[in-house]
Amino acid sequence: MTRPRTWLTTALRLVAGIAIAVPAALLLGASPAAAHPMPHSVVQLDVYKDSVTAQLALPVGDFATASGIDLTTVKSTALPARSKAIRTYLAAHIRPTTLKGQAWQVTIGALSLSRTEQTSTGPYRELVAKAVLTPPAGADVRHFTFDYDVIVHQVVTHITLVTVRQDWAAGQVTGDGATQVGTIRLDVRHMKVPPLTVDLGRGSAWRGFMAMLQLGANHILTGTDHLLFLLILLLPAPLLAAGGRWNGGLAGPRTALTRIARITLAFTVGHSVALATSALTRLQIPGRPVEAFIAASILVGAVHAIRPLFPGREALVAGVFGLGHGMAFSFVLAEMHLSTGQLASSLLAFNLGIELVQLLLVCLALPSLLVLARLRIQPALRVTGALITATAAIGWLADRLGLPNPVARAADSAGAHTTGMLTVLGVGAVVAVGWMVVVRQRGRGATELETVMEPAV
Amino acid sequence: MSRDRTRLVRTRRTWRGIAGAVTAIVLVGGGFAVANASTDTGTGKSAAGVKRPVDKKATGVGAVVSAANEFLNTLDADQQASTLLDLTQANATAWSNLPCGSTCRPGIQLGSLTDTQLAAAMKVLKLATGTGKNTGYDQITQIIKADDVLNAAQSTSSAGPAPSDTASSTASADPSATATDAPTDVPTGTPPSGGTGGGGLGGYGSGVYFLAFLGTPSATGTWQLHFGGHHLALNLTYKNGKVAGASPFFVGVEPTTWTDDDGTTYSPLATMRDGLLALTGSLSTEQLATAKLSESFSDVLLGPGQDGQFPETKEGIKVSTLSPKQKQLVLKAIHPWIANVDDATAKKLMKTYEHELNQTYVAYSGTTALDTQGDYVRIDGPGVWVEFVCQNGVVYRDQIHYHTVYRDHTRDYGSEFTFS
Repeated sequence: MTRPRTWLTTALRLVAGIAIAVPAALLLGASPAAAHPMPHSVVQLDVYKDSVTAQLALPVGDFATASGIDLTTVKSTALPARSKAIRTYLAAHIRPTTLKGQAWQVTIGALSLSRTEQTSTGPYRELVAKAVLTPPAGADVRHFTFDYDVIVHQVVTHITLVTVRQDWAAGQVTGDGATQVGTIRLDVRHMKVPPLTVDLGRGSAWRGFMAMLQLGANHILTGTDHLLFLLILLLPAPLLAAGGRWNGGLAGPRTALTRIARITLAFTVGHSVALATSALTRLQIPGRPVEAFIAASILVGAVHAIRPLFPGREALVAGVFGLGHGMAFSFVLAEMHLSTGQLASSLLAFNLGIELVQLLLVCLALPSLLVLARLRIQPALRVTGALITATAAIGWLADRLGLPNPVARAADSAGAHTTGMLTVLGVGAVVAVGWMVVVRQRGRGATELETVMEPAV
Repeated sequence: MSRDRTRLVRTRRTWRGIAGAVTAIVLVGGGFAVANASTDTGTGKSAAGVKRPVDKKATGVGAVVSAANEFLNTLDADQQASTLLDLTQANATAWSNLPCGSTCRPGIQLGSLTDTQLAAAMKVLKLATGTGKNTGYDQITQIIKADDVLNAAQSTSSAGPAPSDTASSTASADPSATATDAPTDVPTGTPPSGGTGGGGLGGYGSGVYFLAFLGTPSATGTWQLHFGGHHLALNLTYKNGKVAGASPFFVGVEPTTWTDDDGTTYSPLATMRDGLLALTGSLSTEQLATAKLSESFSDVLLGPGQDGQFPETKEGIKVSTLSPKQKQLVLKAIHPWIANVDDATAKKLMKTYEHELNQTYVAYSGTTALDTQGDYVRIDGPGVWVEFVCQNGVVYRDQIHYHTVYRDHTRDYGSEFTFS
């Protein structure tokens, strides 16, 4: 039962990997601006349903030559004084139109200064500007003529790379594998800057949906904290509490299964409700407290795994803390600034991705959890697991309260080793199932257990 | 019964142990295989290379061919394979001014050669290039030295402030890198710590220069001497025992001038700069006004990848309107670039450019002092195309550095290729 699922995730992860690797490779391998020691501009497009947001990163050196606005020594605090001139200049040189030549509306938004570096350029200062490009009502956002000559109208050797960072309808949602759309540079033969024709292909709600499903799946798979919380709550599920300790013996298999199911379900309901509510109401939730709350929830879970704090009420606790986890999930969606229609579909897909992977992981962990509980060294394993979890939780808590530390970094990086994690869970599941089968066939009690060593969960 | 069980337990344990060991071996072994796959080449002894004819008495192009063969004879089969490549457009146009190592240019890396091999390689260059001071071979060796200076400067972090937070956005290898299969684990000159991180993909240093012969060197066929690295690209195309093209030729330098440990001062591009200064300095106010371009430049227009992209309309002041003395200054200004090739060929090319002088244009942007970012001079004729630009330093951030390129409207790569 577990094996086909493992293959399914592998396949899913492979697809996700390719989706990230291909654009990245394209970007690395085919950048015509690379033969350029002078820093170039980068325009990153976020494509929405009815508009496109462009983030411009402009090296201040060439910007000064072209615009006459010298920002090389201007402090960030003094930027607002120049913002009117900057906006006027930018608006004059960003002129998207429909393919038929109908002008789009351009609004220049936030401006800021930062330092950066490109290959072989050395560090330099750049002006970052946001521009919202809106086509005339009913016009296509996915096909347009990008008439853009910021800087290059004057500094003719200047190059602008145009990439797409986020494009929901094309299934590009993570924002960390920008795809290149084209390069805006001088046509030297004619000494003119030809406009770039942007063709983003045909978008579809299905691609957006699938991308969000993958994003959700990856989010929980790589987000060690959510997973750890659930698993640490499940760890003592097959045990009975007595006298403030976990030595009331074993719950029956049916009871254990019911408990695990209830805890998982409660966690699911909790985070789904919170995710849906905060995403749909576009509630502005501060990130830090929520993240700290999650760290605290893991710590509580870890303590509970050592000494029962709330025996029998794990489901309730999972549900309540699940609310916090759901709010954290909603940050991912909030960052994407989706239209309401896209948001609803994204919400469904994203949550579905989360639930599928969560279900898979719980199924994988299930046999190990049941077998572990029967081992003689169960208390030692449980306490060790709980202590490691508690350490990670304390590290995260400190980090999220403003004290960066190596423990948090190590715990975060564990999320990058999903293959190893899945393998451990998978092998554990196979061994545990095998052991149960053997024990059942021999019709013997579950007492001589020194032969089975399970990986701690 | 209890003995049975013990035995069973023991057997199971043994099997589990074996399975575990096997898994571990497979994993570790597999990891090793993968890790080694990329580095294996070169560690084993390679087969001896093919021997080619050497004629010590040959002159002109024959001498270059002979020296090329002599160099090839010092190489083993693998090294010969990375030096002798096909004369394709992809290989020929794979050059860059960037410190992008082998990712953007084909050929064998100087840093990988033994002393004997290196001496043989340098002999080829010496015979193929001009004998002038600050031009030809002398200039090329200085450019290579400059990269060691740059590397040392970057290692000691003598340069400007380190970047603060935000990481780089994009940028990468030259697209023409597809022309080579060379390994990318080039020993780089990039320092382990500090530095301002301008090393790019190949790093700085005299070892990070590459020599290739595109086509087989011969006094009868068509082939190209293709040499370069950071701030240097030499493309000499030979056809039937003659030089059919001495361009594209890119030279740049940072720092523009430096003094060695033994007290020698180097300024490898000074002759080029001084020729242009003499020319623009001779122009009257009215002539300067005509020569001034409205555009600004932060690099040369026709750098790597811009083959055949000459502007259709020439800009600036027409040389036919200049005085005879000024015309001589134009020729003198062009000469250091043409002098990259052997003296006889350079003389012939200069004759051609002299013929075309009246249809040639001189233009500039920024100031004529050639000491500020954006200062730019261009000489554009029916054949010749020379650009010189001043840019802010990458490692020496408080200084400018130079980029220049020499092209020929019809003779780039010996007219072997057409560019759309």
